[in-house]
Amino acid sequence: MLHIDNISIDLGEFRLDEASLDVAPGEYLVILGPTGAGKTILLETIGGLYTPRSGSISINGRQITNRPPKERNICMVYQDFMLFPHLTVEENIVFGLRSRKTDEEDAKKKGREMARLLAIDHLLHRYPDTLSGGEQQRTAIARALVMEPNLLLLDEPLSALDAQTRESLVKELKRIQKITKVTVLHVTHNFEEVFALADRVAVMNRGRIVQVGPPDEVFRKPNSEFIAHFTGTRNIFRGVCSMDSGASTIRVGTISIASRTCREEGEVYATIRPEDILVSRTPITSSARNSLFGTITGIANNGMFVKLTVDAGVPIVSVLTRQGFEEMDLDIGDEVYLTFKAAAVHVF
Amino acid sequence: MRRSWFYYATIAASVILTVFLVLVLSLIVLRPSADALLASLASSEMQFAVGLSLATASVSTLLCMLIGIPAAYALARYSFPGNRIINAGLDLPLALPPLVAGLGLLLLFGTTSLGNWLADVGLVFVFTPLGIIVAQFFVNFPCMIRIMRSTFSMINPRYEYVAKSLGCSDAGAVWRVTLPMSRTGILSASTITWAKGIGEFGAVLLLAGAIKWKTETLPIALFLNMSTGRLDMAISAALLLILISVCALYIFERYGGSARF
Repeated sequence: MLHIDNISIDLGEFRLDEASLDVAPGEYLVILGPTGAGKTILLETIGGLYTPRSGSISINGRQITNRPPKERNICMVYQDFMLFPHLTVEENIVFGLRSRKTDEEDAKKKGREMARLLAIDHLLHRYPDTLSGGEQQRTAIARALVMEPNLLLLDEPLSALDAQTRESLVKELKRIQKITKVTVLHVTHNFEEVFALADRVAVMNRGRIVQVGPPDEVFRKPNSEFIAHFTGTRNIFRGVCSMDSGASTIRVGTISIASRTCREEGEVYATIRPEDILVSRTPITSSARNSLFGTITGIANNGMFVKLTVDAGVPIVSVLTRQGFEEMDLDIGDEVYLTFKAAAVHVF
Repeated sequence: MRRSWFYYATIAASVILTVFLVLVLSLIVLRPSADALLASLASSEMQFAVGLSLATASVSTLLCMLIGIPAAYALARYSFPGNRIINAGLDLPLALPPLVAGLGLLLLFGTTSLGNWLADVGLVFVFTPLGIIVAQFFVNFPCMIRIMRSTFSMINPRYEYVAKSLGCSDAGAVWRVTLPMSRTGILSASTITWAKGIGEFGAVLLLAGAIKWKTETLPIALFLNMSTGRLDMAISAALLLILISVCALYIFERYGGSARF
């Protein structure tokens, strides 16, 4: 549907360097990368704010590389909402329909339907500066979706929101995309958004798209040092969760991990921060509910800390202080116990 | 804590200035008898001056808006060759004595073929009310540009981009989003431009002359009546000018929001 072919652009501080990307209709593609990787400029170039120095962009087979934004029907939602402060929520939502000279009654009807879909229909007469962050972002999303855009661009849409609002908006985005079947490009630096939303993930670095694929594949088989480093700083598992009398267990390959909560039964992702895992040579008796046994397969020393990779059925990364590492006198091939609390297992 | 002499000296300076200002202004207000003042204010000459001042300042402010706002927009948003030179050049009239500006305008409209041609098609600027408008416009447009330039540059261009992605043309995005968002800036810019236009003397004197019942704005009326010794008339013109300044300052401070000169 969207076909980006080798686009380059240089804006001094930010640039794109022969970036290529294909997006399928109805796909939810998340673009992940560190600050300054060129994520926002990629979205803004697709939207038509900048003309690339070379390369081409087409949508549904139509060349749009040099078309102005208004001819593209690609809508953008920014981290800081960019709601028009002089217009009410309703006027913001129908803004685009009015530019299209949609019949006023029709525009209002569509606007109200979209507001209902995003659960902001009780706020239609309020001005943006009286809304909470989550409500503002819902309004911005409604304003874009009511256009029935070819493509919805989300530029870190959840970064300005508190954790609870973010979580509910993630669910909302997923639900709304299911209903509207809109194709989404979503930029973030938050791993959880990748696993919660993405059909595929594209990793960007220094103006280039360095790997594209299903989240699982990109995290399991990083094709470069950069991605391995960027994604490998934490343990991410995919498994099946089951709940039994209040306790939940996630089955990952051959091992079981106890966690405090599963959001729902079935397929889930879980992460454990390496520093939450205690490494020992003998089993530890404590209140921690997870104790795994495995063999050290990798040791990476980076000064203050030592990163251990342990094969406990699945590879698990743990971090030790330099001092702790030396006291335990560990080496590759040694067998160790890994202990962590159920609360350290984050499920999403 | 013991305050330093510097603390007292700086405060004293501000107090002295205020006393000086109040003294000067109160003399104007208190000097004439109330009866004489009312008679002057009601005189048809003064009413003519008020009418002419209001009309010329309003028209010149409108012209400043029509040309100054688009120019300020370009200077705030686009980087184009010569941007910096134009930016600096358009500020120049702020520092230029209005008399000098008036002289230049008189030379342009009075001695060049462009001036002659304009006069031939009916646009006579020398010693006419039309000249008042041009003189006010020339001296005051930098003021409009400065305020509007800073207003526009404080508005994130992404608002316009969002508007364009929602189907607006370049001009449409400015019309529907940027201008409404700049309304406090526009209000304060036009208030200041208008008030300065009402008070403009030097440039008006040179280009439009000081002709009783023809180019007699309030400042010109003050000057003419002062030179002929009619103190009450001069003072009532001054009073009206003070009143207008105070109103303009109030509007600027009250509704100007974050607009800065």
